Amino acid sequence: MSTLSLLPLESRTRRRRWVPATILILLVAFALIGPWVFASPFAQDLSRYLEPPSLTEPLGRDEYGRSVVSRLAHATRLSLVLASLSVATALLLGTTLGTMAAWRGGWLDSVLRGISESFVAMPALLIVLLFAALAADGSLWALYAGLALAQWVEYFRVVRARAALILGSPAVEAAELLHLGRLHVVRRHLLPELRPLLLTLASLGMVTAILAMSTLGFIKVGLQPPRAELGLMITEAFPHYDAAPWLALAPVVVLFALTVSLLGLRRKEDSR
Amino acid sequence: MTGIRRTGEVLLKRSGQALGVALAVSILCFVVVQRLPGDVSYRIAAGRYGYDLVDNAAAAAVAAELGLDRPAWQQFGSWLAALAQGDLGRSLVTSRPVGEELAFYLLGTLQLTGAALLVAILIGGSVGVLAARHPGSLVDHLATTWVASVRALPPFLLGLLLVLVFSVQLGWLPAVGHGNSTSLVLPAMTLGLGLSGLVARVTRETVINVWSSSYVQFAHTRGIRERLVLLRHVLRNSAVVLVPYLGAQAILLIEGVIVVESLFAWQGLGHALVHAVFWRDIPMLQATALALALLVVSLNTVVDLIVLRLDPRPRRAGALA
Amino acid sequence: MSDRLEVDHVKVTHHGTVLVETGGLVLEPGTAVTVIGESGSGKSLLAHSLLGTLPPELAVTGAMRLDGDPFDLADPDSRRHLWGRELALLPQEPALALDPTMRVRRQVAGGLWKAPAAVARRRAMTALDEVGLAGAAESYPHTLSGGMAQRVAYAAATIGGARVLIVDEPSKGLDAAALDRLAALLQAHLAGGGLLLTITHDLGLARRLGGQVWVMREAEVVERGPVDQVLDAPSHPYTRRLLAADPSRWDWVPAAPTAGEPLVTATAVSKAYPGRPLFHDLSLQIRAGERWALTGPSGVGKTTLGNALAGLCTVDAGTITRTEALRRPRLQKLYQDPALSFPARVPLRAGLSDLVRRHRVDGARISTLAGSLGLDEALLDRRSSQVSGGELQRVAILRAMLVEPALIFADEATSRLDLLTQEGTLRCLMEEADPGCALLLVTHDQSVARALTDNRLELGEIAEPATSGVRG
Repeated sequence: MSTLSLLPLESRTRRRRWVPATILILLVAFALIGPWVFASPFAQDLSRYLEPPSLTEPLGRDEYGRSVVSRLAHATRLSLVLASLSVATALLLGTTLGTMAAWRGGWLDSVLRGISESFVAMPALLIVLLFAALAADGSLWALYAGLALAQWVEYFRVVRARAALILGSPAVEAAELLHLGRLHVVRRHLLPELRPLLLTLASLGMVTAILAMSTLGFIKVGLQPPRAELGLMITEAFPHYDAAPWLALAPVVVLFALTVSLLGLRRKEDSR
Repeated sequence: MTGIRRTGEVLLKRSGQALGVALAVSILCFVVVQRLPGDVSYRIAAGRYGYDLVDNAAAAAVAAELGLDRPAWQQFGSWLAALAQGDLGRSLVTSRPVGEELAFYLLGTLQLTGAALLVAILIGGSVGVLAARHPGSLVDHLATTWVASVRALPPFLLGLLLVLVFSVQLGWLPAVGHGNSTSLVLPAMTLGLGLSGLVARVTRETVINVWSSSYVQFAHTRGIRERLVLLRHVLRNSAVVLVPYLGAQAILLIEGVIVVESLFAWQGLGHALVHAVFWRDIPMLQATALALALLVVSLNTVVDLIVLRLDPRPRRAGALA
Repeated sequence: MSDRLEVDHVKVTHHGTVLVETGGLVLEPGTAVTVIGESGSGKSLLAHSLLGTLPPELAVTGAMRLDGDPFDLADPDSRRHLWGRELALLPQEPALALDPTMRVRRQVAGGLWKAPAAVARRRAMTALDEVGLAGAAESYPHTLSGGMAQRVAYAAATIGGARVLIVDEPSKGLDAAALDRLAALLQAHLAGGGLLLTITHDLGLARRLGGQVWVMREAEVVERGPVDQVLDAPSHPYTRRLLAADPSRWDWVPAAPTAGEPLVTATAVSKAYPGRPLFHDLSLQIRAGERWALTGPSGVGKTTLGNALAGLCTVDAGTITRTEALRRPRLQKLYQDPALSFPARVPLRAGLSDLVRRHRVDGARISTLAGSLGLDEALLDRRSSQVSGGELQRVAILRAMLVEPALIFADEATSRLDLLTQEGTLRCLMEEADPGCALLLVTHDQSVARALTDNRLELGEIAEPATSGVRG
C-alpha cells in the first residue's frame, strides 16, 4: 500500500525539478557566455547616464553609463564561481574530516569535534566578514577562504553523525562478519547514504554563499566598487529606484532566480 | 537530583564551547589582522585626525602608542591575558574602554533580537499551526511559498522592500535610527519575517507529526476533548521539538543582526562590528566578534535549559546543537 | 437485546480492494472474543472499524448496536461520544501510546477530565494500584519496561469505566511474565462483566482468554467457534496450517549430529552496563554441529552475550576464545530486523556480488540457493526496504550460506515474523545449513528454543552460572 503510493509521487517531484534545473542552466550559460559577448563591465560613458533598456542594450545603462547586462553577466559569474569553489572546498574538507572522525574515533574524533563545536557557534557571515574586510581591498582569495572556512563545519558535523550511524549499523557489522573489506563499506554503505545528503547540503551551501557575498557587497565590505557584484549593484541602483527601476530589478531578479533554482534542485524529502 | 545533574552537564558543556569559541574568534581575528595589507596605524590615525591631516609620523606615533609595532604573538598574548581579566582594551578610534561601548551595543542587539524572535514566533508559529490543521489548504500552500521565498531572499532585500513600502511610500515608519520605539519596528520586522518562514515550516511539520502520534491518538480514544488534547499533549510535545530547532537558528538570527543593524543603522553589536571593520579598530572588532559568537552560545544554553524542563527523557547523543 | 455489542455487517475497503468483510460478531459480558490471524489479514482493521479510528483513506460500511442502540460504522464520529466511557482501546505498542513528557499518574487521570482534579488524581492512584504500579505513579514513561507501560495504558484506557474493551496485538514484544500479567488483567475485566475483543497472533493468549475464537485470513473470517473446538479440532485447512506452525508441533527439525571440535569457549565471563549487571562468571563451550539457545526475558543481556561470543563486543572479565574454524567469514549472524542488515540504498544483488567476487564463490550458487529457499530471484534486484520481512530474512540466510559458515548466530531472527513465516524461515535455515554448522539462537520464545535446540542457557534477572546446559 505504502510502496504503491510512493511511486507516482517520486516521478512527480522529479518532473518538477526540471524547472529549476533549466533556470540554473540558463543562468550558468549567461554567466559563462555573457562576459564574452557584451561590452566591458567597467567602460563608462557618462553621456548614456541611466539609459533605459533598448534592443542593443537589453538592460540599459547605469549611473556611469556602464552596460548593465554586461555587469550582470560578470556579477553572476563571480557569484557562481566563488560559491562553487568555496562549497567544493568546504565539502571536500568537511566530508574527509567527518568520515575520518567517525571511522577512527578516539582522540582524532575528540579533537575534531572540539574544533567543530567552536566553529558551529560562529555565524558564517561573521567569519566571511572578518576575512573579507581585513584582506587586501578587492582580493577575492580572502572571500573564498572565508566562505569555505565558514561552511566546512556543517559538512563535517552532518557527515560525522551520519557516518558514525552507518558504521555502527547492523549492515556494516554484517559486512565485517562477511569479511567484505573497506572498499565495500565505502562503495555500498557510506557513499550511497551520504550522496543525497551532500547534494542537498551543497545546494543549500551555494545559496548561503551567494547570499553572503551579495550581503557583503551590499554593506560594501570586502567587495568594492567598481567591481560588478549582485549585492553591490543593488546598493548602487537603490538611489535610482524611482527613475530607473530596471537597474535594481535586474540584479534582484538574477539573485532570486539563482537561489530559488538552487533550492528547487533539492529533493522534496530532504528539505531543510 | 538528576535534574540538577543534567543542568550541570549542560552548563559544563556549553562553557567548554564558549571557551573554544572565544579562542577560535581571537585566533581568527589575529591571523586576519596580521595579514592586513594597508597600514593599520595609518587608517587609525586617519580615523582620529581625518585623512587630510594624517602623515607617516602621526601613523607611527599611533602604532607605538597602541603596541602595534610589537611582534604578533606578543600582541596576541597580551590581548588574551587582558581578556582573561575581563579587560577588553580601548577602542582605537574613540579611545573609550571597549567594555563600556560593548555593553551599550549589546543592549541594542538584545532589544532587536528579542523583538525579532517575538515576531518570528508569533507569525511563524500561528501560520504553522494553521497550515498543520488544514494540510493542503490555501493557507498551507501560501505558507509553503512564503517559506521558500524567504529562504531565497537575502535579509537586506527584505529590509529594502519594507523600507520602500512602509517608510518611503506610506511614510508610516522611520527608515533608520535608534532610540524611539517606532524605529525598532522595521528592523525587527525584517529580521523576524526572515526567520518566520523557517519557524512556520518546522511548526507545521512538528504539529502534524505530534497530532498523528500514538499518544495523541490514544488520548482521543480515551474520550478526552480535542482542546484538552491540544493543551495537554500537543503543545508541550511540539515545543520539545521546536525549541531546540529555534536554538539551532540562533546562528541565522545573529547573521541577520549584522546585516539588519547595518541596513537600519541600529546601534547594536553588528553595526559596531561593521564600523570596527571599516576603521580597522582591532580591539573593538575582536570584542564585537567575540560578543556575537558568545551570544550564539548563550542563546543555545538557554534553549538547552528550556528543553531540559520540557522533556524528561535523557538527551540523545549528539542532540546538542 | 441489551447489554451486548452486535455487529451485523462490516466492510472495509481501500480504492475498491476489500480489506475486511464479515458480520455476525456478538460481544457478551464475561465472554472473550479473540481474533487470530497473520499480519495483513485485516484483524486490526476490524477492531478499529468498530471503534471509528480507521485512517480516513479507508472506506467503511456497516452497522453495529450497543445495548440495542444502532450506530452507522460509515460515520467515524458516530461513536466518538462513547470513547473512554463505553468503548475503550488498548493500543498496539503501549510504550508509544503514552505521552513521553507527562508523569504516569497525570496521564492516567487525564481520562477523567470532567471530574474535579482531586477526584481524578485519587481514582488514577487506585487504578494504578490495581495494576500493581502504585509505585510508578510519579515516573515518566521512558523509565517503564514494555510490560509496565502496557499496564499503565490499561489503567489509562479503562479509567473511564468503559465496558467494551478492544485490545490490539497486546503480546508484541512482551516476555512470558508480562504476558501472564496482561492475561490476568483481561480476565479480570471479563470477570467484572466487561466485553472483550482481542486481536492477536498469539494462540496461547487466545487459549487463556477462552470464549470465542475467530480465524481471519485475507479480509475474511475463515473459521469461528468456541476456543477449544477451533484450536483443538480445526475444520478449515488454514487454521490447521496456522496451528501446525506452532513451534511445539514442528516435525521437520532434523536430529543434531554428534558434536565435533570446540568452536567458541567462554570462561568465567562477566559483563555489566552502568548500574545493571548482565551476566556474571559464566562459562560455556559451543562445538561444531551443536545447537544452542540463549533465552530469557527482554533486557537480560542474551543478545549481548551472543555478540560477545561472536566477537562483536567485549566482556568486562573472563576470556572468550574462538578457534581458527570461525575466522572471518565463517561466523555469520542473522539479525532481528533483516532490513537493517543490508546496505539501504543499493540493490540486494550488489552486496551479494561483492561477496561473490571477494571470496571467489561460484556466482551460480546464488540462483541455486534462491531456488531452494523459495525466493524469486527478481527480488534481489530490489532494495532491502522493498522486500517483506520474511523474504528478506531468507535473503539473509542466502547471504550467510554463500560463505559456508561454521557457526550461525541468529539474534531474535524471527521474533518480528508471524507464525507461518517464522516456521518457513527457520525451516529454510535448518535445511540449508551444513549439518556440521553450529547454531546459536538468541530468543525470548521458549517454544522456538525447545523446538530447535538441545542446549539451552536461560538468563535470569542476574544470570547464575548453575543453569541447565552450562558446562563448567
